[in-house]
Formats: sequence, structure tokens, C-alpha cells
Amino acid sequence: MDPKPSIVVDNLVKRFGKFVAVNRVSFQIRSGEIFGLLGPNGSGKSTTIRMLCGLLTPTSGSATVVGFDIARQAEEVRRHIGYMSQKFSLYDDLTAVENLEFFGGLYGVTGDALTKGIAWALGMSGLAGNEQALTREFSGGWKQRLALGCAVLHRPRVLFLDEPTAGVDPLSRRQFWDLIHQMSREGITILVTTHYMDEAEYCNRLALIESGRIVEMGTPGEIKRLAIHGNLLLIEAAPLGDALAAVKRAPGVTDASVFGAALHVVVGDQQSERELPAFLAARGIRVDRIEPIAPSLEDAFVSLTGEKPAGDADS
Amino acid sequence: MNLRRTAAIGRKELIQIRRDPRSLLIAVVLPLIQILLLGYGARLDADHIPVYILDQEGSQNSQALLKGFQASPYFDVVKVARNYPELVRAIDADRCKLGIVIPWDFSERLGDGRPVSVQALLDGTDNNSAQLAEGYATAVVDSYANRIQLDWFSRHGLSQQATVPVSVDYRTWFNEDLESKNFIIPGTVALVMALMGALLSSLTIAREWERGTMEQLIASPVTPLEIMIGKLAPYLIIGLLDAISCAAFAVGWFGVPFRGGLGAFFFTTTLFLIVILGIGYMISVATRSQLGASQYALLVTLMPTAMLSGFAFPIDQMPVAIRVVSYVVYSRYYVSALKRIFLGGAGINDLIPEIIAMAIYAAVIAFFATRAFRKQIE
Amino acid sequence: MLNRVWRMIIKEFVQLKRDRYARFVLIVPPILQMLIYGYAATFEVNHVKIAVIDYDHSQESRDLLSRFTFTGRFEAAKILNNERELKSLIGESDIPLALKIGPGFAEALRKGETAHLQVIVDGSNSNTALIAVGYVNQIANQFSQDYARNRLNQVMPAMVANVPQIDLAPRPWYNPDLNSQWFFVPGVIGSITLILVVNITAFAIVREREIGTLEQIMVTPIRPFELILGKTIPFFLVGLADVVLVAVVGTLWFQVPFLGNPLVLLLGVTLFLLSTLGVGLLISTLCSTQQQAFASGFFFLNPAFILSGFAFPITSMPRAMQMLTYLNPLRYFLVILRGTFLKGVGLNVLWPQMTALAALTFVLLVVSVARFRKSID
Repeated sequence: MDPKPSIVVDNLVKRFGKFVAVNRVSFQIRSGEIFGLLGPNGSGKSTTIRMLCGLLTPTSGSATVVGFDIARQAEEVRRHIGYMSQKFSLYDDLTAVENLEFFGGLYGVTGDALTKGIAWALGMSGLAGNEQALTREFSGGWKQRLALGCAVLHRPRVLFLDEPTAGVDPLSRRQFWDLIHQMSREGITILVTTHYMDEAEYCNRLALIESGRIVEMGTPGEIKRLAIHGNLLLIEAAPLGDALAAVKRAPGVTDASVFGAALHVVVGDQQSERELPAFLAARGIRVDRIEPIAPSLEDAFVSLTGEKPAGDADS
Repeated sequence: MNLRRTAAIGRKELIQIRRDPRSLLIAVVLPLIQILLLGYGARLDADHIPVYILDQEGSQNSQALLKGFQASPYFDVVKVARNYPELVRAIDADRCKLGIVIPWDFSERLGDGRPVSVQALLDGTDNNSAQLAEGYATAVVDSYANRIQLDWFSRHGLSQQATVPVSVDYRTWFNEDLESKNFIIPGTVALVMALMGALLSSLTIAREWERGTMEQLIASPVTPLEIMIGKLAPYLIIGLLDAISCAAFAVGWFGVPFRGGLGAFFFTTTLFLIVILGIGYMISVATRSQLGASQYALLVTLMPTAMLSGFAFPIDQMPVAIRVVSYVVYSRYYVSALKRIFLGGAGINDLIPEIIAMAIYAAVIAFFATRAFRKQIE
Repeated sequence: MLNRVWRMIIKEFVQLKRDRYARFVLIVPPILQMLIYGYAATFEVNHVKIAVIDYDHSQESRDLLSRFTFTGRFEAAKILNNERELKSLIGESDIPLALKIGPGFAEALRKGETAHLQVIVDGSNSNTALIAVGYVNQIANQFSQDYARNRLNQVMPAMVANVPQIDLAPRPWYNPDLNSQWFFVPGVIGSITLILVVNITAFAIVREREIGTLEQIMVTPIRPFELILGKTIPFFLVGLADVVLVAVVGTLWFQVPFLGNPLVLLLGVTLFLLSTLGVGLLISTLCSTQQQAFASGFFFLNPAFILSGFAFPITSMPRAMQMLTYLNPLRYFLVILRGTFLKGVGLNVLWPQMTALAALTFVLLVVSVARFRKSID
């Protein structure tokens, strides 16, 4: 791996009483990489990110961020990171500029650097011309970009984004990811948590996390390949419930689940794939469509964890 | 008004209260803690007033007077001072409230009939304590003077003169032992209930705004008045429970007499709770921020009830303008009702003016609260 | 570090400037409260209304009764013909006191027997009753003395000059007219400040926690101590401005003398403000929601206000309760206020109060910072 990874997480554990929120999590992130933690709500992704930011103390295990230990050198760590939570924590009763000035000041950005940084952040967030408006008057997308501006004003080397696109319209989400990629190109390491499958595809690498454990890790492509052993077929059939039951008993089928009004079925070998229509027809099921498709992350996730990620209504 | 809709809101509120036993516990226990603290602490009785005595003569006579102070239950003779500066320092530093100076020619003047003045140096900063101390000290000196005089008359064969011409017989009604706890504690019930009511109602509304469920309620066909009544009714029950436990504590623990009718107590308490819950509701609807609600709730409950209700400070001693202001203070009517129920043995019939005033108040508050609510939605 | 604290302070003031409610609450109500409560807080007993029943109708009874109205302490509001009317008077009206002189009053006096003055007191307001009883005693005793001398004068005029006479000459210091306002105006200044400052500080941190900005601040290099400082200084300045405002209005309007050293008072004000900020911050760090802060603030302030010696003397409280008041910053501040205003005493007398406030502040701030560190987890 990269000789000098930006973030190294080693066997990190966080317990709240008897509940283990994060269970022996380990990963490394290269400089400039966009690394996604993908998992349902309550899977431990926010807890992980909050430990890395120094907001929570790990129960055991260790981690370094840009070479600094998160437990012993929290202050050094904080100097080099930016953090943005899903709440877009800004002051509603301050203007855009005042928010930027405030957080810039806390990071020790002053003088020329502050002026330039603010101008850049305003341009980036599309708030130029509205800089004297109170933050409470902004839409979700604007608030999100302003919060991002506040988090990167001090040019951090690592950016932590905890569910950064929650409650933002699709267009703003696209724009936001364009900004993230731009920052990654400038060398900023980005760790992002999400439960949006489509967003996870934007990451360079991903870790699938469930119940506090990392289930799988790799590039989106790798994860899909790892998860799906065989070919993925889309089958539109009626009645759907009977079809699902039948498919699961069909020879060579390793996995089957309902996606919308159709079935996604993983078949291990070519032979079984060819025989499937006949198998279903013999059981009185009308097959309208059957065709191979490219697996999505959602397929991979369902296949790996046996359940759908939360909030999938949006994805 | 639709009763079924109102009841539905009330039921929902009750379920939420039941699911949150910690808050319920706080709502019941906190008032008791308050009553306990205030019951013990809010007293005006001046007993054990710390006294320094400077006996410049040191004779048998001056010692006899000194003994009078030592024997009085109202005074604690902390020290017999050696000199005047010591006495002055003691008063300056708040070590005593009263300094008695017996002059060096005390016996000599008594002997030849020249008037003797025993000086009482009072710390006048607390004028009330000073006044009480002066009253008690006068009584000690007067009784000493009477004894000396009677003595003198008998020694000079004037025993027909040796009577005190006038004696004062007191008959005290309602609070026979003139204990301040009986005067103060009924008022503290009002003070605690005012805080409790404003707190309960402003919290329930703030919660609703925060969770966004208020919008949901508004979107339904429920009217503002129904929302208000439905939300507040359960807290009225809690408030009544609080009031009962406070009153029980006042009577059972502190021994305050309860001579009036239970019906009068429930009726006036219910009216008062309606007023105060309505005020809390109005504040939180109007401000919508919890900091604002808390500021205004404090502003209209704690100080006005403590200062302008007759809780401790007699309203009839205030200037006319302030007396007029006190009519706006809702607790004034409740405090007056409580005192008359506890001590005076009043029943509902005796409390008509208070009841009418609180009823009008409740109606006015309900009107403004629903109006504020409508404005807030728009 | 200074830059970070400075930023926090500027932010707080900008927020305050935007908050119309807060600005109003900080200026208008304190002044109004000062003026209203300065008048309302009074334990004075003047013009007490009395009812009079004189069955004797003698020279002597009229003489005694007239002494009551002569002083201005009492006001004869009702002349009754019989005792039955009393029942519906005492406790039902604003007349708390009735004097009754039975038949044969003058006759007893003339015979050299003890005559009786009956006093019926409504004890509901025990304080007014006690003070009124004190006045009644003084008046009756004076009448007695005068009558005895007169009586002696008629029998053996030569002896009169030799009868021993003692009286108590009260010299109230610091407040010679025993003016209630002198006592309460400093108290109102302290109480208003306490309530205002504790309440706004109680929300200081918990509000940021609820909107999430606290977390955002915590990931910056700021230290907990700096954050607390940045949060405290603005409220300190606001509190200071309010104390000065209220104190100036109160002192000028009510003509309360200020005899002490302004610098001593300033020191006391500073220490008091810091300790109330400590209480507020502690509430703010202990609570996780604004609701809890709201409730805690309420339930601290009521006893803190009532059990401070503001109106109810601490010496009248039971021992255990007196110990509890040592935790109350207002208790010390009231001594400092009254000491500097009325007594004109300095640090040589007020050092115990100053030390106590400083110690209280130190403990509260240390606990707050410690609690705050923990509460991030």
C-alpha cells in the first residue's frame, strides 16, 4: 500500500456501555483519496468518523491522521482536519461571511489568507452576492456548501464528511460531489460516510460497514465483483412473490431478492441461466423479461449483508 | 369547540407524559424540594438576634438588666464587649444586629431619679429585623424598669402606687403564635405553583415546535383553542397533584393550620393553574425560542409572585401606583385566597372577589394565547 | 489563543445584536423591575388601620386611644359599638388590629388597680402584627408611665423626681429612619442580576450543543478552556452593563446613599458575576437539552433568590438551612452591596464575602470545564 497513508485506523473499538458501536475496525486511506464508509443508520460509521475527529475517545485500538495519533495528539490532528456534519452546523443568525470569519478565526486563519479564503468559499458555494444575508434564509444546498466552505477555509489535509448530503436536493448533491472531487484532485484526503448507494459510486474506495464491523472493502468495482459470484439477471415476472420463491429453489441460483417490481437473481453457471425460464414456466409463472445486468452497489450490499441499507427510498 | 378532538390531544399528551417517567418524577419531586427549602428558609421570625452588650458600669443593677437580655428567647448575647470600638466593629462586620450600651452612671442615676437612657445601637440596614429587635429590646428594658419602679414604690411605703396602671392583653386570631411560617408558607405554595405551571406548559409547546409535530397539528382541523385546552389539561392534573402535595407538606410537615374548605382550595388552585398554564403557553407560542421563553417566564412568574402578590410584602404598605400594578399580578389573588383558606378558614363563598378576578384573568389569557397562536402560524 | 477567544466574543455580540428579544430583555425589564420592586419591597408598618371599641367613654380611655392615632403609625378606620362587629372585620377587611377598652377602665385606674387594654390582632401577616404589637406596647407603656407619675404627683409631689426611670434609646445605624427602600434597593439590584445572568448563561453552551455548532467548534483546535472563556466574557460584560444600569437607576431614583468605595463594590460585582456565570455554565454543561437547562435554571433561581437574605434574614433560618445558603452567591453579594452602600465598609470587613465568592467561582468554573471535557464523549 501507499508508504505514507493519510489515515491509518487500527483495530478501533468504541463501546457505549454494553453496546459495541464500532468493533475492531481497521483501514488505511491514501492522500488525496476519497474513501467512503457505507452502511445503514446506526452501523457505526458516524461513531468512527467522530473518533477520528477527536469528538469521541476510542475504547481501544488506535488511529493516526496525517501522522498524528488521535488519542495523544488530538490538538495537532484538529489543526489539519476539516469536519462537516449532516446538520450543517452553522449559526442561523450570522451572515455567510460572519460564519466564515468565525470558523476561520477558530482555525487561526487571519489577514490576507482569511480574505482570500472567504472569497474562494463564497465563489465555491455560489453565495457571492448573498454574503450579507443571514444563514437562516439559505436553502439546504447553499447551507451545505457554506458549511463545506467553513470546514475547508483553513486548507485542511483531511476532510471528514458525515452524511454530507442528507436532506439536500439532487442537483445540489451533484454540485457538491463535483466540489469533493475537485478537492481530492488538490490532494485533500476525504473520508465520507453515506447511506446513499449512488453516492458511494463516486468514492475511490469503499468500506461496507454493518453492526460496527467492516464487511468488505475495495473500489466500488471490486466490491461488486467480490459480492456477486456469478451473473446478475433481472427478471420481470408475475406473480412476483411466487416467482421469488421459485427462483430461490432453482438450480444454480445463489441469491435472489426483490428490487422494485422485478427480481435480481444471481446465477452461478451458464447452464442454469439458460434453463431458468423453462424452470419458472413449469411452475406456472409468466416471465415477461429476463436479461443480464451490471451489478450495482446496492446489489453488492444486499448480497453481502442480507439486508437493504436504510434510507434506500431515495437511492 | 370539538370535545373529541380536544380529548384526542389530551390523550396523546398523557401518553407522552406516562412514557417519560423521569420528567414525571421531576414534575412531582421538584415542587416538594422547593416547598421544603422555602418552608424552612423563608421566615421572618426574629429570634436569637445576636447581641453585643457593653456594660460600662458592671454593677449589680446593670447585671440584672443584662440578665434580662440573656433570659429573653429573642436574643443571643454573643459577647459582653470590653469597649466601644469593639462594639462598633462587631456591628460593622455583621457579627451582631444589636448593641446594648449600659452607661457608667446607670446605678447612680437610678438612685437619684434622673432618667437613664440605655442605648440600643441597631444595625438598621435590615430595617425590618431592626424594628423587631427594637420592639423586643424595649420590652426587656420596660419590664426591668417596671420591676425597679415597683420595688422603689414598696421600699418607700407607697405600695398603693405599686401597680402597673395599664396592662395590654392580646388576643391573636388566625395565627395565634404569630409564627411567620404560617404567614409565609401558604404563599410559597403559590410561588412554587407559578414556577411549576409556567415551566410545564412552556416546555410542552417548545417540544412540539422542535419536533415539527406542531405543523402537523396545525394542518389538522383542530382549532387553536382545542390545541391549547387539549395540551394543557393533562398538566392541569399534574399541577393539581403538585398543589395537593405542597399543601399536604405545608400542613403535615410544617404544621401550618388548614382551616378552610378543601373545595375552596381545589377550586382556586384550579383557576390559578389555568391562568398560569395559559401564561406559559402564551409565552412559548409567542417567543418560540426556548431561551426567550425561559427569560419571559422568569420575568412574569418568580419576581412578581415574590414581590407583588402579598406573599411576604404587605400590599397595603406599597405606594398607590404599585398597588395598582399589583392588580395585574395574577398570583395576588391566589396568595390572598390561600392565606384566607389556610389561616382564616375561608370557604368558596368568602372568596368570590378572588375567584372572579382569576376567572376574568383566565379568559383574557385564553383569548390572547389563541390569538398569538394564530398569528404565529401565519 | 487570544485570537480564538476574540472570535468567540465577537460572534456572541453579533448574535446578541441580531436578537431583538434578547436586547429588549436585557435593558427594559431590569429598569422596570428595579423601579417597581424598589417600591414593592417594604416591610414598613405605617398607617395601620385600627378599629376601636370604647365601652368606657371616659377621659382616660379617650386619652389612651388618641395616643395611637397621634403617631402616624395607626389610623382609626372604624369606631365599633360592640364586639360582634369584630367578627366580620378582622380577617375580612384590611383592618388587622382592634383596640377594646372595657367598661370600668377609668375606674380601675383611679382606684390604683391595673386597667386592661384589650388588643385583637389578625395574625395572618405575622410580621406586620409583630411590629404593630411592638408599637402598641410602647404606646401603652408610655401611657402607663405618665399615668403613674401623675398619680404620684397628686399624692406626694416631692417624690416624683426620685422615681427611677429607664428608657431604651434606639440608635439605628446606617439607616437612621429605618427606611425599607435603603435595605431593599441594593437587594433588588443583586436579585435582578442573579436571575438575568444565570438564565442567559444556562443556555450558552447547551444551545450550541442542540444546534450542532458545539461539535463544529470542538473539531477546531480550540481548547475547552478557551471555549468557556469565549462564552463567559460576553456574558460577563453584559452582566456588568446591567448591574451598572440597574444600580445607577436604583440609587438615583430611590436616593439610596452610597457611602463606600466604588472600587470595593466593583470587585464584589466582578466576583459575583463570575460566580453566577459559573452557576449558569455548570447548568449548561450538565444539561444536554435546552429544556433541561430551562428547568434547572428555574429551580435554582427560586431558592437562590428567596434564601439569600434578600428579605428573609438568614439568622432566622434553621442551622442546616443556614449552611445551605453558604452555596448561594447572592448571599455574599447582598452583604457586599449593603455593606458598601449603607455601611460604607471596605475590604477589611468584606474580605470573607469576597473570598467566599472567589472560592465559589473557582470551584464552579473548574467543575464546568471538567464536566465540559467529559460531556463531549
